[in-house]
Amino acid sequence: MNPALLIARKEAGELLLSLRGLGWLMTMAAALSVFSVLLVSDSELSLLDNAQVVYDMAAIATAMGTLLALLVGIDSVAGERERGSLLPLLLTRASREAVLLGKIAGIAIAWTVMFAVSVAYLWAVGSTGQNLAGSVVAVALIGTPAVLGFGLLGLAIGAVVGSARAGQLSGLMVLLVSTSPLLLGPSLRQSTVGRIFDRVNPFSGAVDAYDAVIIDSQSIAAQAFDLYLVMAWLGLTMIAAVVAFRRMSR
Amino acid sequence: MATKLAMPLLAAAFAVMAAAASAGELSVDLRAAPGNPARPQMGDRLSFRSVLRNEGPAPVNGVMVWISLIRIDPGNEQPVDLEDWSGQKALTADILPAGATIEAAWSLRLIQAGAYRLMVAAESRDGGRTASGPAAEFTVGEKPVVQAQRVLPVALGFPLVIATVMLWRWRRG
Repeated sequence: MNPALLIARKEAGELLLSLRGLGWLMTMAAALSVFSVLLVSDSELSLLDNAQVVYDMAAIATAMGTLLALLVGIDSVAGERERGSLLPLLLTRASREAVLLGKIAGIAIAWTVMFAVSVAYLWAVGSTGQNLAGSVVAVALIGTPAVLGFGLLGLAIGAVVGSARAGQLSGLMVLLVSTSPLLLGPSLRQSTVGRIFDRVNPFSGAVDAYDAVIIDSQSIAAQAFDLYLVMAWLGLTMIAAVVAFRRMSR
Repeated sequence: MATKLAMPLLAAAFAVMAAAASAGELSVDLRAAPGNPARPQMGDRLSFRSVLRNEGPAPVNGVMVWISLIRIDPGNEQPVDLEDWSGQKALTADILPAGATIEAAWSLRLIQAGAYRLMVAAESRDGGRTASGPAAEFTVGEKPVVQAQRVLPVALGFPLVIATVMLWRWRRG
């Protein structure tokens, strides 16, 4: 079997079948369940309240996906190096690129499962509201490159830093800054610095596209800029991960 | 003495300016477009047409026409933010010649159930009387935007299934 496929299967299995991996899914499901039940308990909902919850769910699923991808990316290199399991892998005949491809494929499989879980929740609350299909397509098309980009960034950080803990701290800092659009109010995001930051931040690109598609009922085709932004992010992080893997010492 | 003479002159000048400012006589009419649903529900769209006419003898400069929506349910009387209801909230024209008209179509996406009144108004750059037309009233029917029988199985089922698998994995060591 292709070494990349073997590595992907191992990584995805560890993520989805281990207690740790299931813990991730449980956390995500619990967060989305709380949102769903809040919606049911409100008897005077407008279409916008419904759309807002669908938007929140899409953003939470993406945020949790980026967190998972980043931490797993760091751990699967720096963590494995500390546990002594990276060296045997690098000593095999598999190329560095194959190892990298296998690891990112494992993250992609885990994200696919998270996405599938979030689609069930989006259907539950959004099927009687508006723009359910748009929300699913937006998360798939724009959320996925953003999530995988953070996974690649995690792999690059893991390859560069000396310890898993240092890598996780650096990665979490980057993620915290990137997800700040979820915390900042609209007025701060409208400032000059806020607008520039939004223009280069892949997470902003994803949530802005969700907002436009789910709440403002715009078409996916109108979100070309955000799609280019997350694809550029994916490309840049791919280059960073490839370079970091090639230079990585055993 | 000079001050006593200047005051009437200034008053006369202001009177002339005011007369010129209100020279443009605008009238505006609002009608529901044919084809609107008889019993609109949340999620439906309603269309309206407005006709702005310059009834005066002189052209009117800098014309603005806009719509306003208010909710009129007893106990819920309030102006509605059109942000999410309509992509088009106003239109402008540089000049409206005497006797000319401007027609506009307004589309509303019905966001929330309730009784509403839509109004259209027009103004010119020069000021004067604000023209407002007849209001269009409509009632938006409820539409369930969330169904508990869909949400609860998913909201309770997923954590339960994952917890069961975790327990099974934990017992297997």
